[in-house]
Amino acid sequence: MKTMARTQLPKLDTLSMVTMGLLMAMQLVLSRFTIGNQFLRLSFTFLVVALIAKWFGPWWGMMTAALVDVVGTLLTGNPYFVGFTISAILGSLIYALFLYHHEVTWTRLIIAQLLIALVVNTLLNTWWLNIMYQTPFWGLLPMRALKQVIVSPIQVVLLYLLLKSHVIQTIQHRLKTK
Amino acid sequence: MSKFIFGRYLPLSSVVHRLDPRNKLLLSFCYIILVFLANSWVSYLILIAMTLGAIWASKIRLGFFLRGIRPLIWLIIFTVILQLLFSPTGGHVYWHWAFINITQFGVINAGYIFIRFLLIIMMSTLLTLSTQPLDIATGLASLMKPLRWVKVPVDTLAMMLSIALRFVPTLMDEAQKIMNAQRARGVDFGEGGLIKQAKSLIPLMVPLFMSAFNRAEDLSTAMEARGYQDSEHRSQYRILTWQRRDTVTWLIFGVGLILILISRRW
Repeated sequence: MKTMARTQLPKLDTLSMVTMGLLMAMQLVLSRFTIGNQFLRLSFTFLVVALIAKWFGPWWGMMTAALVDVVGTLLTGNPYFVGFTISAILGSLIYALFLYHHEVTWTRLIIAQLLIALVVNTLLNTWWLNIMYQTPFWGLLPMRALKQVIVSPIQVVLLYLLLKSHVIQTIQHRLKTK
Repeated sequence: MSKFIFGRYLPLSSVVHRLDPRNKLLLSFCYIILVFLANSWVSYLILIAMTLGAIWASKIRLGFFLRGIRPLIWLIIFTVILQLLFSPTGGHVYWHWAFINITQFGVINAGYIFIRFLLIIMMSTLLTLSTQPLDIATGLASLMKPLRWVKVPVDTLAMMLSIALRFVPTLMDEAQKIMNAQRARGVDFGEGGLIKQAKSLIPLMVPLFMSAFNRAEDLSTAMEARGYQDSEHRSQYRILTWQRRDTVTWLIFGVGLILILISRRW
């Protein structure tokens, strides 16, 4: 079956492994860069999550996403909570399901982004905050949903630009031909 | 930007600093469960005593911990106010207007939630302030070992993680350099609306990805030249040792757990 080949854990050569390590470093670095104003902040870690998912597939994507979430949280001194790791894993899985072994199209990106924005960032993350700090779920939900509504189109456009960019295509080609 | 990711570690010599990183990771995970268990003022008092005790043992000034609270301040205020205004009726009603009730129950609940926030943040700040990033990574890799049984490539992941941590400062410098170079050519970072800001980041991201990949190629070639084949069949240079003080922390934790379980009634 075609899907079976897709769900196996691909064996890594040294270059792929090191590349993933550097992409993880990139994710930790990018989490420090945010744009926006004091009400709305947007970080660029999703770009790297999508790249790892596109190049290395769901299994490596989910494992590195979990690891970066745990390490990133611990290193910045934020309280650790398993829920957010689950969110990170799901986000990476969704990107991989839509991008790994598939041509990047607007439809694919938009559906993936919608799923992540709705299920992961809005519903799950608000729920985790509710469990962790007893923040009122329905009180927080509208604000967090509004943020996703504003941010999602920007994320889709940025993802498209990055994944279609000449540089990323070149790197992808070099990864595959090695 | 100036808040560097590794800058938060405070090199002091205290009992907490010398604890095994694996132990500190486990303790901070279990501490959150402890916070979930607490539900009465006596149990919160025990938690506060434990937390302040740990902070005192670390010899780190309290001000550093207050700084950890700052990023979450809006969430804290929002939650506490909502709890205060819209809690279910119970106990003495202090103030009543339309659908807003400030009740005794609400005030107590808001107080609990505020303390819960503070405690969770303080303990996780303590972990980062007293443990070096590389130690956290080594500890984490060693705690992941059992996942081998479910076919998780733990050694490869540990290798990736140590590569990642090693390259965070390098990529950070690189990002800073590229930013300055692009500024010199007239790119305004952090100016204008959201879309303009996002667009200005492309001249940063694209070169950063390219340079990261070039580094990856060089590094992997160098690793293979030094005899690297796979992550499994290797020995370890960094070895962690569990000491008596690590066992003692669990005794203290156990006593705290029992006291909290007993005090849940009051």
